[in-house]
Amino acid sequence: MKLYDVKLLTITCEILAQKNVIDILKNHEITGYTSYEVDGNGEKGLRGQGILSEKNVKVEVIMREEKLSAVVEDISRTLFPDFTIILYVSDVGVVRTEKF
Amino acid sequence: MDVFNLIQSNLLTPIILFFLFGIIAARIKSDLKIPEAISEFLPIYLLAAIGLHGGIEMRKTGFEEMLVPMLVAIGLSLLFTLNHYQILRRLGKFNIFDSYALASTYGAVGAVTFSVGLSFLKNQGVTSEGYLAAILAVLEPVAFILAIFLTNMAISKQIRTKKQSFSGDKVSDIDMGMKETKTKISQVLKESITGKAIVILLGSIVIGYIIGEEGFEPISIVFDDLFTGAIVIFMIEMGIIAGQRLEDIKKVGIFLTSFAIIMPTINGIIGVLVSTALGLSLGGAVMFGLLLASASFIAAPAVLRHAIPQANPSLYITSALGITFPYNIIVLLPIMFTVSTWVHGEGSIDLFNYVTKVFI
Repeated sequence: MKLYDVKLLTITCEILAQKNVIDILKNHEITGYTSYEVDGNGEKGLRGQGILSEKNVKVEVIMREEKLSAVVEDISRTLFPDFTIILYVSDVGVVRTEKF
Repeated sequence: MDVFNLIQSNLLTPIILFFLFGIIAARIKSDLKIPEAISEFLPIYLLAAIGLHGGIEMRKTGFEEMLVPMLVAIGLSLLFTLNHYQILRRLGKFNIFDSYALASTYGAVGAVTFSVGLSFLKNQGVTSEGYLAAILAVLEPVAFILAIFLTNMAISKQIRTKKQSFSGDKVSDIDMGMKETKTKISQVLKESITGKAIVILLGSIVIGYIIGEEGFEPISIVFDDLFTGAIVIFMIEMGIIAGQRLEDIKKVGIFLTSFAIIMPTINGIIGVLVSTALGLSLGGAVMFGLLLASASFIAAPAVLRHAIPQANPSLYITSALGITFPYNIIVLLPIMFTVSTWVHGEGSIDLFNYVTKVFI
């Protein structure tokens, strides 16, 4: 089976930044993503175990390489200074490349 | 009963005891926690109950009575927010974002504090005006909108001065920044009006108004009899959260700690006096004072994190939840109740009627 190379962008952020992330994706005409609530420890201490606004979410987006750097740049520029956010990129293979 | 006795007996009510218990549970690192679904459900339930009661009372009294107190409350809330900002910025030397975020947190209202106030009055055998629930709904976004507006004004002013010094080459970036600030306010307005707290509160007020006393009868077991019990359960959760944040209070600093105690006291007592002058009842004046004294800690993070993301959330959450909330429900409520009893006592009531007649 032939697998096509695409990029997986994973963003772990505070739940209140989720909307901003999704808006940025939308600006780049990316509407598909998967998100789930997570908890963990980091620079800001234990997160995700208290009130709703302290939750963390993980947003996963698969996209073609062409869009990646613009999206990452946008997120870094607008969200990195003010929000709890970790972002990383990995290479993944998909079967139906036309979906992305 | 003097104020110390009142504080003492207030300390021994289940609401306060369970709150303190929650703090202890968090301090000994117990794994006790209220299931998430319940702690999300309880504020909705409390607001629904407050709204229903408000609606039923408003059916009895009509709308006219509510207009003046509501406008006064909005005016005071705006005035206090500006006042907080000046104090925080000038005396506290906080940066502009933290100052506005804190100012609006303290200018806004706390629905949980309001619920505790209602059951405190119930305990004392005193009632309050139902339309205060409507004022709670209207006041919720007011302080935030003002703070966000002023923050954005300050930002665009900064951008404009930068624009003048750069002149030319960076215009596109600057224009974009201006556009972003403009859309922010309308977004916040829309989000806070369609936010769950205001929607459930206003919805229940309308439903309460429609169904009236008779319609409330079959559901009163849930929305009346269970009210204080539900607050007690929510207080465990509040206590746990406050307990977890106890270490953060050290980071808040002495200035903000005293601000978080002194400002609510001043605002609350002004609220009691003004509302008494407006002719509100003993209990109504306490609730009116509590509206102005309370700080928002459930709505604030959600609104401010988007609207003023530069502000440090641990400052406004910790001071509102860890300091002001316990102070308000344990100490300030009895104080305001005493003040209200005093100004509603014989003799002084004539004075206030006199003031009302002359000035309003």
